[in-house]
Amino acid sequence: MNRKLVMPGLWIGTILVVAVAAPVLGLPDPVKQDIARRLAGPMLGSPLGRDEFGRDVLSRLIWGARTSLAVAFASAFIAAAVGTALGMIGAWKRGWVEWMTVRSMDVVLCFPPILLALLVVTLLGPGAGTLILVLSILYIPGFVRVAYGEVLSMRANDYVEAVRALGAPTSRILLRTVLPNIAGPLLVQVSLCVAAAIVLESGLSFLGLGVVPPSPSWGLMIRGARTTMAQAPWLLLWPCGALTLTILGMNLFCDRLRDVVDPRTTSVRSRPRLIDRLVPGLLPGHDPARDAVLAVDGLTVGIATPRGVVKPVEGVGFHVREGETLAIVGESGSGKSLTATAILGLLPPVAQAIEGTARFAGRDLLSLDEEARRRLRGGELAMVFQDPMSSLNPVYRVGDQLVEAIRAHGSVSPEQARARALELFRKVGIADPDRRLDAFPHEMSGGMRQRVMIAMAIANNPRVLIADEPTTALDVTVQAQILTLLKDLQTDNGMALVFITHSLSVVAEIADRVCVMYAGQVVEDGPVGAVFHQPRHPYTRALLAATPEGDELPTGIGGVVPLPQEFPTGCRFAERCGFAIDTCRAAPVALREVDEGRRARCIRSDEMARLPEAVA
Amino acid sequence: MNGKAAKWLARRIGGSLLLAFLVVTIVFFTLHLVPGDPAVLLLSTGGAAPSQEQVMRLRDKLGLDRPLIEQYWTFLSGIVQGDLGKSLQDDYPVASEIALRLPRTLELIFAAVIIGLAVGFPSGVKAAFGHGGWFDRIASGTAALLMAIPVFVVGTLLVLAFAVQLRWMPAGGFTPFSQDPVKHLTLLTLPALAIAKGLAATVFRMTKASVLDVMTRDHVRTARAKGLTPRRITMRHVVRNALSPVVTVVGLQIGTLLGGTVLVEYVFNWPGLSSPLIKAVEGRDYPMVAGIVLTISGLFLLINLIMDLLYAVLDPRVRP
Repeated sequence: MNRKLVMPGLWIGTILVVAVAAPVLGLPDPVKQDIARRLAGPMLGSPLGRDEFGRDVLSRLIWGARTSLAVAFASAFIAAAVGTALGMIGAWKRGWVEWMTVRSMDVVLCFPPILLALLVVTLLGPGAGTLILVLSILYIPGFVRVAYGEVLSMRANDYVEAVRALGAPTSRILLRTVLPNIAGPLLVQVSLCVAAAIVLESGLSFLGLGVVPPSPSWGLMIRGARTTMAQAPWLLLWPCGALTLTILGMNLFCDRLRDVVDPRTTSVRSRPRLIDRLVPGLLPGHDPARDAVLAVDGLTVGIATPRGVVKPVEGVGFHVREGETLAIVGESGSGKSLTATAILGLLPPVAQAIEGTARFAGRDLLSLDEEARRRLRGGELAMVFQDPMSSLNPVYRVGDQLVEAIRAHGSVSPEQARARALELFRKVGIADPDRRLDAFPHEMSGGMRQRVMIAMAIANNPRVLIADEPTTALDVTVQAQILTLLKDLQTDNGMALVFITHSLSVVAEIADRVCVMYAGQVVEDGPVGAVFHQPRHPYTRALLAATPEGDELPTGIGGVVPLPQEFPTGCRFAERCGFAIDTCRAAPVALREVDEGRRARCIRSDEMARLPEAVA
Repeated sequence: MNGKAAKWLARRIGGSLLLAFLVVTIVFFTLHLVPGDPAVLLLSTGGAAPSQEQVMRLRDKLGLDRPLIEQYWTFLSGIVQGDLGKSLQDDYPVASEIALRLPRTLELIFAAVIIGLAVGFPSGVKAAFGHGGWFDRIASGTAALLMAIPVFVVGTLLVLAFAVQLRWMPAGGFTPFSQDPVKHLTLLTLPALAIAKGLAATVFRMTKASVLDVMTRDHVRTARAKGLTPRRITMRHVVRNALSPVVTVVGLQIGTLLGGTVLVEYVFNWPGLSSPLIKAVEGRDYPMVAGIVLTISGLFLLINLIMDLLYAVLDPRVRP
């Protein structure tokens, strides 16, 4: 059994065993009255005392558990059998059968449960049998829905199709193939129903409309103890406690079972462990970075995991000057986006920038406090994200979201802000801007939404704009428009643009300099022309070869980027590199200057320079 | 409102009316689906067989001798005109009894919903922002406990604590607001609290989960990238977006809440729909039970419709 289930499992198990074993526990007769000992306190043979008729309370408590649990389990299992059958048949046959078995069940859900129960009790009279019938009816729709949904999603699965194609009869497929696979969700539903049934049974018994006296039941015990509440309040506490503890155990069991059966609902966020931020590295002395508006040096992002800190970004450094476009390029998993979000202080809670500096206008962004960083974000330092749909808040009009960005930086009246928003919409090429300001994100196309995002980013004339794959989620034709727009805006505003992408053709079109990242490190950087003409790192060379160019077929790069926890000690690309030699894998390779304004992280970079040109 | 929205609204209301019609039909046919003679069934309390004369009289009173379809039609047209028949016990019109007591039940429900939301929502937000902290732990533990204690147990324990032991307020009862507003509200407090407990716990859990989920969404990162203040991000981009799932959950809880009201009214002697309902179930007074079940189910459908509309107000994506 799964470890998570042990505790609540033992809890419920103990209650069940005690209830089942009631006849052999040598308890006094739970219905035998002894008026002389009415409301007697604890005594020998009656550790919990006697009730208002002098009956033994402990015995009634345990026998009462038997009644409650018997009713609850019986109704849950009847509902499970009938409901599952109906749901499976409905999902398998579809058509009118589906309507009869699945849709028609929904009408039961139109009644508050206890009222439907009372309606039936009126006709059949109270009693355990009536309760089981009513509760079964109430819980059938739940099972129908679960079975129906699971079977529908399973029908599409290959193995069900395979069994079907082999000509197995329907009933056999449903019982042998489908049922075992939906057992998990059904089990969760059973335990939910048992918990709900215990509550409802005790409630009806409490009203005197459930289990018939003198049979012991927790609901009836509470009903009885209520009348003597002033003289003997403890009589109330026993059944209340027993009921609450049972339901608490049942609820806990349900929660845990759901986690085990359906890992999607399990919380995956591990609580971030406090990693002491190290003293920021010494001032970067590189000459080329001196006139840079943004200069990142030695940036390392750490994620605390149960197996230690992994570093998906390690020692990354680059710089960008005013009016310049730097492209950061690499495959998914190379750490490009994490680098960008770390600079703005937008890392997800589990990740932290643990080393390095990011100097912007003379200040280190990584050591600024959150309030100072907030003032810069959206002001002098702006960002555009990959997916414009999820990046816009779906419940507000785009104009309001833009106005909000304008008004976050400086006191602007709503009218002025609206006028500015209109101007920005024109600037990013949104047709009919006045009307578009009042649209919701879902009413716009992907390209339009990305234009809104760009308008928001440039709203306060940023000095640096970081665009994280802004065209990846868009159509090819729209991609080109967005690129042109960004380029034009840059020319107009003179801002520095950091453009993150995995596409080298985009780099060639937009960037002045390029920084190639692989497995959390910069492997090569330099002017676009020089790097593309004569790459000094095998990875860059492989990337270029993988880019479709004219009639030539691209050559893919074998293998995948290693996961951060599996980064090798030596060169991280060695495993996929055609030029790798043993020395590559021995020790970490340093990023070194290979030419004027060019760096590469390869021990054979000089030999790379003598290879024939990569791009015609 | 434009034409499209009106059409959408009409469709939603139409759907609810269809469900209401189904509910009425089921309540009618339940009486006839039960095996055996319904008249005999209703009269057989305590196991003793009813006399032939009694059965005849009841059959006549309920019109059971007429064709089923005619009975159904009488039942339906009666409901449309607000006539729910007469009580078998005292011949009093069911509709008049309901009209007298429904407002009191509604008041209790209204107070409970206000308390449940006022407690559950802010504490859920607070727990999400201090995820794993002391407040979150205490509140989550309390919510789990509240969900486990049945509503009538909470009610009974409240009576025991505040009325019997501490003697701070009466054990129950009712005073009209016009007679003594303070006493009226004092008497309202405990039952409303008892009914609200489940809603508060569920709203707390859902709010916390929803806020935690929204906090990780991309648009919140955008809001941060815009340089908005944490307060503004919390209120406008997290809490506002977290509302929709909470509304859904409130809608799902209403059925439980209405059922809980029946139990709590009984515990506190609140003269709402519960006491005639219980008396009617005990006395096998089918017209009275059917009338009250229909009223509360109708209320259930109505609240669900309102929740649906509210959901559309909150989330522009589901609007027509």
